[in-house]
Amino acid sequence: MPASRSTKIALYLYGVLAIVILYLPLVSVGFASVSRARYLSFPIKRYSTEWYARALESPTVADLVTTSLKVAIIVTIVSMVIGFFGALAFARYHWRYRGTFQKLILLPIFFPQTVLGLALLMWFNSVGIIPTWKTAVVAHLVWIAPIATLIIAIRAYSFDPALEEAARDMGASTFLILREITLPLLMPGIVAAGLFAFLLSWGNFPLSLFTTGADSTLPEWLYAKMVSGYSPLVPTVGIMSVVGSFCILILAFAMTWLLRKARNNRPKGADNDTGG
Amino acid sequence: MSSEPFLRLDNIVKRFGDFTALQGISLDINEGEFLTIVGPSGSGKSTLIRLLVGMEEVSEGSIWLRSERIDETPANKRPTCMVFQSLALFPHMTVGQNIEFPLKIRGESESSRRARALELLELLHLPADYYHKRIRQCSGGEQQRVALARALAFDPEILFFDEPLSALDYRLRKALEKELKDLHHRTGKTFVYITHSLEEAMVMSDRIAIMRKGRFEQIAVADEIYARPISRFVAEFMGEVNLFDVEGTASGGLYGHGVEIHANGEAGAADIALPQGERGILMVRPEFVRFLVSGETADFIVRGILREEYALGSRIQYEVEAASGSRLTIEKLREDRFAGAIGSEVVLGWDVENTHLIREA
Repeated sequence: MPASRSTKIALYLYGVLAIVILYLPLVSVGFASVSRARYLSFPIKRYSTEWYARALESPTVADLVTTSLKVAIIVTIVSMVIGFFGALAFARYHWRYRGTFQKLILLPIFFPQTVLGLALLMWFNSVGIIPTWKTAVVAHLVWIAPIATLIIAIRAYSFDPALEEAARDMGASTFLILREITLPLLMPGIVAAGLFAFLLSWGNFPLSLFTTGADSTLPEWLYAKMVSGYSPLVPTVGIMSVVGSFCILILAFAMTWLLRKARNNRPKGADNDTGG
Repeated sequence: MSSEPFLRLDNIVKRFGDFTALQGISLDINEGEFLTIVGPSGSGKSTLIRLLVGMEEVSEGSIWLRSERIDETPANKRPTCMVFQSLALFPHMTVGQNIEFPLKIRGESESSRRARALELLELLHLPADYYHKRIRQCSGGEQQRVALARALAFDPEILFFDEPLSALDYRLRKALEKELKDLHHRTGKTFVYITHSLEEAMVMSDRIAIMRKGRFEQIAVADEIYARPISRFVAEFMGEVNLFDVEGTASGGLYGHGVEIHANGEAGAADIALPQGERGILMVRPEFVRFLVSGETADFIVRGILREEYALGSRIQYEVEAASGSRLTIEKLREDRFAGAIGSEVVLGWDVENTHLIREA
């Protein structure tokens, strides 16, 4: 249906408004990070990248980044593994209570994270585990692994089980089927799940707040400094964190693109890598 | 064909919970034979083929290949291969990689794999540059050929087909049926094909096995099954047919409801006889029924009214409502077209040599 002139204008207006509402707050944080003044006010009188230099030198910031990265990377890898096998269990095998199990395992996604964090903290305390960044990994996994499973399961449901049967029929062992057929075909789902897992862990605040104990992740520190001890270092670190997420996103796209390119230009006969 | 059975199915039973999908299947398949198993959906033919390739386990009975028992051998250790209904081509591999897959699993060198793949592309009339094509760049018919090439690369003792042509359009299917038959001749392999299409079975097979409710109803060559079906089910499954309930009379002849029988005691009528009181079904295929002109006679006669005329291309089909109320189908070649008007009274007749008696009540 061709849009009339007024509809077109309304659509453009809607688009611009949506983008402004989504991105303007982030832009203002960006301004705050390059302002010399202690508090953000417009117009900005003097620009400076001084706070970026300070952030890069600061051992506190380095610690925060290290902790956040450690948590996010471990959560990503474990989520991908759990998600892969979980998705296969969902999509491939028929067993009693499968439906119930599917629903129960996805339920944590819908819990308020603060409640989940509180519950985990209480549980850690009652069994005598002192919360550190390691307990945060567990907490993140409780919430993120089901999401990863869901993402990979969507991919697993859409592929024909006859592909695996055909491979077996032609002599492939269970391990070879996994390596040559299942893994390469699920790879886009696994990569997407890993991306989500990393970004959700990297940016998570409520679960980390309850479960990191004496350790602190970037989002926690941002909040704490907002409450007391604000300096332009806060928006600076915030922007750096966003840029970090963005780099991961670009990296993932680049990886997918390179893999596809490598597969299409594969030298004749070289096929030990079945790619993803 | 060797006289010794190549593949022997011995009293195979398959149960899924309370449901018995196969109730005692026995069959000998000869080496180099093209056998088609035909049956309506739910007859158990897919279950049977899955048992034979090892994707399901038998509940009872045994499978023997060259006097070696194979029913407990897992699918990846059996020297059999199946072409799937969905073809099951690996979408993340090229045509070449798909064909080479079984060879790669077997650990063959890259150069020999590639040589074999190119050979198979040629055997299946695909250009060599398809080697580098992706699966989704191939048309339906080309994908069919790639799936066949891959199965042949495996070099199985027996090649199974699970309705691989069912998704294709009519013309392509007809062409591939003939190609498949030709491929069977050229490779000399044993083909076991399942389908619900009678036409497919008739065109390609050496023998046809008709399956119904987990049993074989009849196993014979196509002509035999067409002309002398063993039951009403087979007769009706194998195309258009006219059937009449008959009963043996005291004089050794037949009494038929809605059909005048003049063949009693004549030559050739011996096969068309029943002991007194026993019931049977008299069968005649539509192409053997004639429109009789006055004065003409036949061994079997039915009077009725011409109701419909359908053009089937090279043939014309007529529907006649008999005086007894039953409907008869008659087929004539276009050149032998019957001139009578719709609604006119007609006399139909056919001879004893084109008649078959099914001894089933």
